Amino acid sequence: MCDFSGKLIAWMDRELPEQEAAVVEQHLESCSECRSEIDAYKRVSSELEAYCDRAMASNMRRGDTHWVSVLSAAGAVAAVVALFFVWPRIPVQPPPFQPSNGVESASTAVIAKRLPAPVRPVQKIHRRQVVSPVQIHSTIVATVQNQDAYIPTNEPIIQIAIPADEMFPPGAVPEGIHFAADLTIAADGSAERLRLSPQLAVFERRTTLP
Amino acid sequence: MSGDAAPLALPLSRLSTGACEATTLYRELRKPLLRYLVCLGLSSDEAQDVVQDAFLVLHRHLASGGSQENIRGWLFRVAHNQARNRQNRYDRNFSAPSDPELDALLDEATPERALLKKEKFKQLGKAIRLLSASERECLLLRASGLRYREISEVLGVATSTVSDTVDRAIKKLAEKCNV
Repeated sequence: MCDFSGKLIAWMDRELPEQEAAVVEQHLESCSECRSEIDAYKRVSSELEAYCDRAMASNMRRGDTHWVSVLSAAGAVAAVVALFFVWPRIPVQPPPFQPSNGVESASTAVIAKRLPAPVRPVQKIHRRQVVSPVQIHSTIVATVQNQDAYIPTNEPIIQIAIPADEMFPPGAVPEGIHFAADLTIAADGSAERLRLSPQLAVFERRTTLP
Repeated sequence: MSGDAAPLALPLSRLSTGACEATTLYRELRKPLLRYLVCLGLSSDEAQDVVQDAFLVLHRHLASGGSQENIRGWLFRVAHNQARNRQNRYDRNFSAPSDPELDALLDEATPERALLKKEKFKQLGKAIRLLSASERECLLLRASGLRYREISEVLGVATSTVSDTVDRAIKKLAEKCNV
């Protein structure tokens, strides 16, 4: 190894005093080994610079992609939540009723003696809103009017007889059990909800028959 | 930071001059500082935090009439110390930067050249990780354009030590990378 090897990098970086730098330059004119060393050091230095540039670029991009992934995940969650609220609710329709060919069994259930009372509309009152008594009164009156409109008095009470065999397997319903059905009719006239509640026949007879 | 706030009695003219100088220095030195910190092993977010803090300190330094001699070395020293504080705070050892993403190197003219460059970077990354912390810091500060005297101020060592360390580190890299 040449004696000037320890000064080559400092000379390359222009960190040597003028006199020392001149001596090194003079030596380089005659020493091919030192010249090739300097070429190698220059290549390493430039590669190191390129490496640092690339490291910074990739690191910054990684930070960006991290935020992009976080934001896209948050957006996806928000979209799902928004869809949940915006998507139209499709009411579950009961299967169409198919009566048997006019044959009523002994355990025929008597259903729906009356229409259920309409659900009182939910009144949304803000916390800071002061509701005057006049407003409350008018609301109640409106509700009663709606009830009158909901149950027409000139139409007969609907009674539907469904054979128990059509709804339950044979033997599943004990003798003397009836089912009272509450049928809720929607505003457009379609069946909104059907609720069956079992009742003893004796109790039913006592309450319904004179 | 609130304890280091600039005094209120500072003349407005001096404050505006300091702000102008800090802005100019920010444009010039933000990128080299970020590169140094990222190559030191900080994440991009951490590096940006450190750079922001360093320039805030610089602004206060200039606004309070601090010395403007070798302001570049001063700024690197502040950033370097803040990076070291984070290291101590989190009890974490900064390693050399992770290898740059390989996909980012596919901008070469031919696939063969891209592959060759990938291999070179891998080799260089491995060689950098084998260096000691002081060798790595000296090399990275040198790659940021600092003179040996500035590096010595940043690291708090003698200039001759910096010269020897840089010499040793470059030779190690050249040997490991077969350049």
